[in-house]
Amino acid sequence: MGGFLPPAERRSGALVALYVASSLLLLAAGERVPQVTLRGIGATLFAPLDRIIMSVDRVTASWRENRELHQRVAALELENTRLRSLEAENRALREPLGLPGYQGPSLGPGEILALTGEPYAASATLSAGARQGVRVGDAAVTSAGLVGRIGEVYPGLSRIVLLTDPNAAVACEVESTGVLGVLRFDATPRPRLVLTSVPFADTVRVGQRVLTSGLSLRYPRGIPVGHITRVGASEGGLTQEIEIEPAARLTRMRYAFVIPGPSDARITP
Amino acid sequence: MRSLLAFLAAMVVVLLLRSTLLSPFAARGIVLDVLAFATVFWALRHGAAWGATFGFMVGLAADLDATHWMGRHALVLTVVGYAIGRLARTVERESVRTHLVLLAIATALHQAWVVPFELGGFVGLGSGWPYLLGRVFIGALATSLAGAVVLFVARRLFGKSVFGNALVHSG
Repeated sequence: MGGFLPPAERRSGALVALYVASSLLLLAAGERVPQVTLRGIGATLFAPLDRIIMSVDRVTASWRENRELHQRVAALELENTRLRSLEAENRALREPLGLPGYQGPSLGPGEILALTGEPYAASATLSAGARQGVRVGDAAVTSAGLVGRIGEVYPGLSRIVLLTDPNAAVACEVESTGVLGVLRFDATPRPRLVLTSVPFADTVRVGQRVLTSGLSLRYPRGIPVGHITRVGASEGGLTQEIEIEPAARLTRMRYAFVIPGPSDARITP
Repeated sequence: MRSLLAFLAAMVVVLLLRSTLLSPFAARGIVLDVLAFATVFWALRHGAAWGATFGFMVGLAADLDATHWMGRHALVLTVVGYAIGRLARTVERESVRTHLVLLAIATALHQAWVVPFELGGFVGLGSGWPYLLGRVFIGALATSLAGAVVLFVARRLFGKSVFGNALVHSG
């Protein structure tokens, strides 16, 4: 295995010094190093292998899932019938008031090929990219709720920046009360999602649902984000610190849907 | 050429394992540090230069995959690979006890270096040190036990030494 590597220890020391210096240089350069293209090549190369490994995992779970999905389809069919009659009633009531009709978001499906990050996943590789119409900034959801936004797009793949990314921030509101806050990931004292910037004057309770708010430029309003599990004071004591349990299972996703963002909100990540 | 292919194949397998099968364990707080395991394995088998090279390459790939803090995995895994490779000449490489100790040390070093980045640097360590200790302790314990079992089973399956006499031109 000697190959192209120098055999002498003195020279192997020089090799290590080169690696260490390169690593330090990369650390110092930080985000200035152009990584998107390299990551895109890596994701494209690994996608077929990821698919093979994930398919083995999924085959084992498919029988149980199939039964559950049949039950769910039946329940949703019933609910859909009820909602259609409510929609007709809603339209009839809105028309005399001159209110615009509700336009549901269009969903682009994709398979989650890989999750990246330890111990909590901070990003995910999605099997849909520019060719499927995915664009940077689009929201990514599962049937349970918001998982993040599209951070990088490659020709046939894309990368979702999950809610657990240290740089992610989502404008949210508490359902029914309309209390506004910003959801962030906090790694200390333990990894968790926290709704920040909520003044003490606003009343929130454990168990209430949290949705994306209309103040968000990236996300459509009303996507479920999670529910409140704990209410406390922030470190500075000026605002509340509200812990959120995410609606979507960020560590065990199989499929995700991309909701195109508003056309005037194409923001670089 | 064969050795280079083995090197690349090992890197691919490690990265795939990390992003697919091992991620559910990590999400439950049990970090099986496959990067540290593979670097220790490669360094024990092929010596300091190859250990450092493997650590650097696999670390760089993990850094690229992680979006933030490019170079953090590469730096510590280079050092780990080199140090274990140097030790490979003096320790009993086939011993389960050696595997347990080296894997525990390598994982502890790796986790102790990368976790503070996730906590936001030294500022985050103020409140995050119990989390850091937990990650280091659980990661070292889980990885050393699982890694030693894997190496033991591999030796039984193949019926010969895992590290053999491969350490010849390693530097």
